[in-house]
Amino acid sequence: MKNKILGFTCAYAPVPIIEAAGFQAFRVLPQGECPDQAGQLLHDNLCPHVKRVLDRALDNDLPGVSAMVFVNSCDSMRRVADAWRSARPGDQVMVLDLPSTNTPSSIDFLATEYERMARTFFTWNNLTFSRERVRERINVWNDLSQTLALLETKMGEAFYPGLAAEVQTVVNTAATDSVDAALAMAKAAVTKAWVPAGGHAPVFLFGNLLFDPKVFDLFERWNMHVTRLDFCTGSRFVSTVDLSQTDDPFAALARSYMTGPPCARTMDITRPGSIAQKIVERAGASNARAVMGFTLKFCDPYLARIPGIRQALQAAGLPFLMLEGDCTMGDIGQQQTRIEAFTEMLGV
Amino acid sequence: MMYDYFSSIVSGITAKLEEDPHGIHARKRYALAVAALGQRLYSENARIAWCGVTAPFDLLNSMGVTSCFVEFVGAMLASTETAELFMQEAEDAGYAADSCAYHRAVTGAMLKSAMPVPDFIIGTSSPCTAGLAVMENMAKQYRKDLFVLNVPQSESPAAVRFLALQIEEMAGFVAGHTGQALSKNRLGEALELTNEATVLIKEIYGLAKQKPSPVDSRFLNNFGVVITLFMGTREGVDICRAFRDELSHRIATSAMDPSQERIRLMWVQNRIQFPFPMESMLGDSGAKIVVDELNDVTWEPMDPDNPFESIARRILSIPFSRNVDSRVAHLQELAREYQIDGAINPCHWGCRQGTGVRGIISNGLREIGVPVLNLEIDCVDSRNLAKGQIQTRFEAFTEMIQG
Repeated sequence: MKNKILGFTCAYAPVPIIEAAGFQAFRVLPQGECPDQAGQLLHDNLCPHVKRVLDRALDNDLPGVSAMVFVNSCDSMRRVADAWRSARPGDQVMVLDLPSTNTPSSIDFLATEYERMARTFFTWNNLTFSRERVRERINVWNDLSQTLALLETKMGEAFYPGLAAEVQTVVNTAATDSVDAALAMAKAAVTKAWVPAGGHAPVFLFGNLLFDPKVFDLFERWNMHVTRLDFCTGSRFVSTVDLSQTDDPFAALARSYMTGPPCARTMDITRPGSIAQKIVERAGASNARAVMGFTLKFCDPYLARIPGIRQALQAAGLPFLMLEGDCTMGDIGQQQTRIEAFTEMLGV
Repeated sequence: MMYDYFSSIVSGITAKLEEDPHGIHARKRYALAVAALGQRLYSENARIAWCGVTAPFDLLNSMGVTSCFVEFVGAMLASTETAELFMQEAEDAGYAADSCAYHRAVTGAMLKSAMPVPDFIIGTSSPCTAGLAVMENMAKQYRKDLFVLNVPQSESPAAVRFLALQIEEMAGFVAGHTGQALSKNRLGEALELTNEATVLIKEIYGLAKQKPSPVDSRFLNNFGVVITLFMGTREGVDICRAFRDELSHRIATSAMDPSQERIRLMWVQNRIQFPFPMESMLGDSGAKIVVDELNDVTWEPMDPDNPFESIARRILSIPFSRNVDSRVAHLQELAREYQIDGAINPCHWGCRQGTGVRGIISNGLREIGVPVLNLEIDCVDSRNLAKGQIQTRFEAFTEMIQG
């Protein structure tokens, strides 16, 4: 029998908890052909992510989804959680409170929130709450994370045509189907005989959402060697959970999610603006010679940090191209000239 | 330069008040306090903290810190028609023109060194993530320590505990920078003053509910938000008393003309901050703003014996800290209590937090028979203002209400 489907929209919603409670985790991605209707409930100046997700809800383009978890991660996410209740009043909905900082008290609070989330999901699914089950799913998740890390290391070592799209396909499978299926795909990808090629400019990609594997094939066609997919729909989504420091899986999740590579909305108050330096470091570690950012229009957390990121990249001597859009293929297609000029300028 | 500017305002208003020492002059006393705050912020002696909107200013005042939320500066720049220069500076530096203009103006002022350099910064995750981003950028730019109060969206016991703990940690953070530990006695006194002011604020709002209302459209403009800066001080109590007395006086002398109140309106979220002839536009139709969404008391009295939890509950009670259901319920309550005929939502451009759910707010008010005029105004950036279009929409709205 297929598991019931529980939807989510933010990378700070841990898939291991959803799966431990017997649900299929389904990330509601902003895609599809449903008509624009979100404006009935939300203002047009909200990001295309939440508007498209709400379009899907209003159009009943969510087969099998009967429950949702939203994360109080940014204003737009708060608002789509608000609108969901109007759009789909029959769904079970939970909002998880996510602190903005990685201080000890914030991490402790998030641990209690993750436990509340788990208990709620087990109850929704009429199952007995089990910490052990959560730990088991974290272990599988970590297996996936570490396998993907091998593929990402390979992405940085040389240009393997198709590898970036393959990695994205694995991540999407974990987000919308099952971690077990994604793990099997990742292991197959690791053993595949990838053939390196030359003549492409190594570029580190970062931003919020870019999830269509075909986009990365396009980038390759435009002479780009993608060295890393640092998106909340990419490598940041499948980050390893460190279980070695604590027996409590929720504390482990909270610590790992708050101290791992951050979304722009999460800050280290001891190093304000440090997201910029972290991007420089990760770009360097991936052997990139340049950086390209892609953020959704109206995404305040990223847009407020871009000038600082630009400065840090300039200081590090890394050329930077910033794109803003709605993460559809059509939108990306319009960027072809800029991207080709950028990779050409890198002179590989 | 800014210090001199505020000093001249302080001198001017003080001289005016001295001409009529027995007059109430609530708005003048309020303007004087605001100018004096500006003077303190730009003086070289004060300990200054730039803060988020929901920071506990009574606690900070009790610790001798001159504190202010940064959006206040954005509003001030707009009201003096100087915001454009600073917004342009921010945009030239790469900050998106689609972002909130309060924050763009402040960012530009920071980049042009027109803001006082703070001793430290206290961000708040409520009301918005955009404001918090500005605080982080400020901390980086000024190389000053940052503290953040994470405000959960629920009022669960765990959320209250978490926020109360952070407020206590914040007091320690402040003490670490001022060298003076929090005095429980002084905090207790400050909270008593907050309670005294809050009683007066409730009286003010109670008087404003009367029909005809003794307020005019501008009387309580920005009041609920700005008065928080003076909480925990005698000055704050005095301002509130002046407002209460002035409204009582207007009622006692039947100063309000009912013909100017054929339509009672509610203003949703924040007002237009640059000079804009709102009152005359509304007045031509016999319409008047009698209540602002942000003018309300949603919390219980502060408990000096349990200060951190009290303050935490206050912050969590603010509808902007919560989900839209709470916000709509609050707007419906205000609509009923003030017997309003319609509501105006400016839909401040760039505000994902307040403007984001405007459709749900409109639906919620329509449910109780209150029509809503949704405008497209940037409340700080007047560069794209379509005044004629707004006037036409006001007229159509008031005609529709009058049937």
